[in-house]
Amino acid sequence: MKKLVALLVAMMMLTAMLPVMAMADSAIDTSEHVVITYLVTGDIPTNRTEEVLAKINEKLTEKVNAELKIRWIEWTDWTTKYNLALATQSGDIDLIGTATDWLNAWPNIQKGAFLPLSEDMLKTYAPKTWEQVPAENWELCKYNGEIYLMPEDHYAQWTNHGFMYRGDWAREAGLENGVHSWADLAVYFQYIKDNKPDVIPWDANGNGSSYGPQMAGGWQTSHTTNVYIEGIGVDLFYGVSKDDPYTLSNYYIEGDELVNFAKEMKKWADAGYWRTDVLNYTGDVAAEMEEGKTGAHQHHTQTWTGERTTMEKKQPGSDLGFFWFGEEMNNVVGLNITHGAMAVAMTSKNPERALMVYDLMRNDPEIYRLMQYGIEGDMYTIDENGYIVRPEGYEQSKDGVDLNYWWGRNDDLELRDGKKDWEAIDALYAAYDAVKINYPYGRVVFDLANVQMYLDNLSNVYNTYMPRIVFGMMDDPEAYVAEFRAQLKAAGIDICMQEIQRQLDAVYGK
Amino acid sequence: MVSANKKGVAVNQKSYRKPSLWHVIAQNKTLLLMCVPAIVFFFVFSYMPMPGAYIAFTNFQYNKGIWASPFVGMQNFKFLFQSGQLGLLLRNTILYNLAFIVLGNVLQLTFAILLNEVQSKRYKKVTQSMMFLPYFISDVLVSLLVYNLLNYDYGFISNLVRALGGEMPKVYQMAGAWPIIIVLVNLWKGTGYGTVVYFAAITGMDSSMLEAAQIDGANGFQRIRYIILPTLKPTVVILFLFAIGGILKGNFGLFYNLVGNNSMLFGTTDIIETYVYRSMMNSFNFSQSSAVGLFQSVVGFFIVIGANAFVKKLDSDYALF
Repeated sequence: MKKLVALLVAMMMLTAMLPVMAMADSAIDTSEHVVITYLVTGDIPTNRTEEVLAKINEKLTEKVNAELKIRWIEWTDWTTKYNLALATQSGDIDLIGTATDWLNAWPNIQKGAFLPLSEDMLKTYAPKTWEQVPAENWELCKYNGEIYLMPEDHYAQWTNHGFMYRGDWAREAGLENGVHSWADLAVYFQYIKDNKPDVIPWDANGNGSSYGPQMAGGWQTSHTTNVYIEGIGVDLFYGVSKDDPYTLSNYYIEGDELVNFAKEMKKWADAGYWRTDVLNYTGDVAAEMEEGKTGAHQHHTQTWTGERTTMEKKQPGSDLGFFWFGEEMNNVVGLNITHGAMAVAMTSKNPERALMVYDLMRNDPEIYRLMQYGIEGDMYTIDENGYIVRPEGYEQSKDGVDLNYWWGRNDDLELRDGKKDWEAIDALYAAYDAVKINYPYGRVVFDLANVQMYLDNLSNVYNTYMPRIVFGMMDDPEAYVAEFRAQLKAAGIDICMQEIQRQLDAVYGK
Repeated sequence: MVSANKKGVAVNQKSYRKPSLWHVIAQNKTLLLMCVPAIVFFFVFSYMPMPGAYIAFTNFQYNKGIWASPFVGMQNFKFLFQSGQLGLLLRNTILYNLAFIVLGNVLQLTFAILLNEVQSKRYKKVTQSMMFLPYFISDVLVSLLVYNLLNYDYGFISNLVRALGGEMPKVYQMAGAWPIIIVLVNLWKGTGYGTVVYFAAITGMDSSMLEAAQIDGANGFQRIRYIILPTLKPTVVILFLFAIGGILKGNFGLFYNLVGNNSMLFGTTDIIETYVYRSMMNSFNFSQSSAVGLFQSVVGFFIVIGANAFVKKLDSDYALF
């Protein structure tokens, strides 16, 4: 009996060592065909995605004997479904598109949803990615000393918010250089109100929960030097300035700027820049702007780059401009490199192959362009300037491919869309680059378990008061802000600030 | 009807001896077989997940699973009590549910009886379908309908009022108006569905009673008052007992879509579900949200037990158990 046990143990040890031996060998064993499931947010596309995916899988099979299967988290209730998929994973997902700002990557890492990726693993199975990401960027993907994320750090994009406005109407309003401040914006809105009876200056759909943080943060970064700290869940926490980022700002506790915001927005509300029942309105602002029914749309830079072209087609001469939040104070932060990142699922049965597939998705020119643009010669061609040209009558929703690959785009392989107004876009990007700072909080991963109860209550207070401040729906702005601040105090903002300050100090030293 | 038959069996056997479980099963096997899908449904979706309620007492870690995650006691329940809003939330949630249950049942009963009195088959069918339709309209669409009727600037009713020379109130800023609007919308959506249940109960009544009453000279109102209503009493009581267990649970879809983040209306429209959503939409804390759900279920459980005991005291035939 003892002998049998000894034999079994020996066999088990041998089996356990096999993968190690395989790794030691430079040739990676890919004799078994595996399916890598990739979890991604987005609606199931009805265009030619399936067809292109089959082509991608041919290539993947050829190169690493694996194929990609996509599990879509559709936009309806996506936050719940996404987090549930991570919580209930059982080897059914391998690659996960994630983000530290909008997809809760850090809390998910703390809850054990992702696999730690050792340097050896990355070097062996995702060598090109390992090379491409500089050491200091890998540092920003670590939690407790281990790498969990592969960042989208080789792709320039701007998702800072602001207002799109019509250049033609701005000039009519006497703003020769366009809108460059909140004061200009008021002039622009007032001009529309006075001169275009069928147009609502900004037909905001105030029903969503995103306007609060976007507008409130927009005013704050335009009128103070404050720098936003992401990943806390309630947008009440900012650093003082780019020169003193690791001291928390008291903007929401005291000072006049928040009161000024409420006063100004009340003025705008009373002047009728948006509809009376804005808080319950759910219309599509972009579509209204394209139809000429509203004069502005609040969203981010990336949206504007596409919208400018669309508007030129639908409202010729509209010369859609972009007033970015922070412009008055030159206060803009470059996109955090983990705004998009790929992670490997904790329960993945084939983490090695998953990494190999990701390495190809990110770095293989053929596979990358299939994923991003489709089949060359059929779905697009490249013109003499290197711009991508779509065939006549091409429609993305019908003829394109949509893999929502936002977790490792690569500027070396990207093709610029010849239809976009690159002159205007490059000018704006240059303006950003001249003043931007890099996201200063990349190294801190907050552990909020101890204050979560207070944060939840703060979230309630914020989401109760902020929508009304943003849309000026109160009789006495000063009193209303005072009430908001009293409620924040009661909900425990001081305790949370203390804890967050303590964790900042622990990482950045003080 | 299941309940009638079960009772029948029990009465027949009582004079001899207490029937064995097997005997009861054998006697009612067809009926029990018909119950199997429902039993399986509730077993799978209500009883099997029950141990999982333990998640409410843990700091849930995905890689450890529910059972190995660290136990934190009642900590997840704290936030609901710490907020200081629980009183308001409970008041709103319970009052809305009471309004839904009481007004809903009265309307459903009324419509079922009225439908029963209608002679034309085709008219009956068409009316029933028309009443049923709103039940299938999603809350998102309902909220759009309400908005397009009531919004101050461009709403249908606002335009009508102005055309008639009136002054339209800003409904979306009047907290007082919303209990009425929400109850009306809920009744509009649910009445058709509930009516069918009562209508089925009436159809299932022994027609000889009604005929006998007719021969004895009872008019329409007397038939309703002395035959139909008393016969429906058990159904009403059972539906009431079922409904009251969910008295702490709100219809999130309805409230969230109608009110959204318009905090001017929260005083009269905030229910436990919408509050929890606002508090936790950014933290995705499964443990804490389960704690709230468990709290609602446990309170609901005791309310059902209490209400059942009360009914039993009044008339033991009508109690659930």
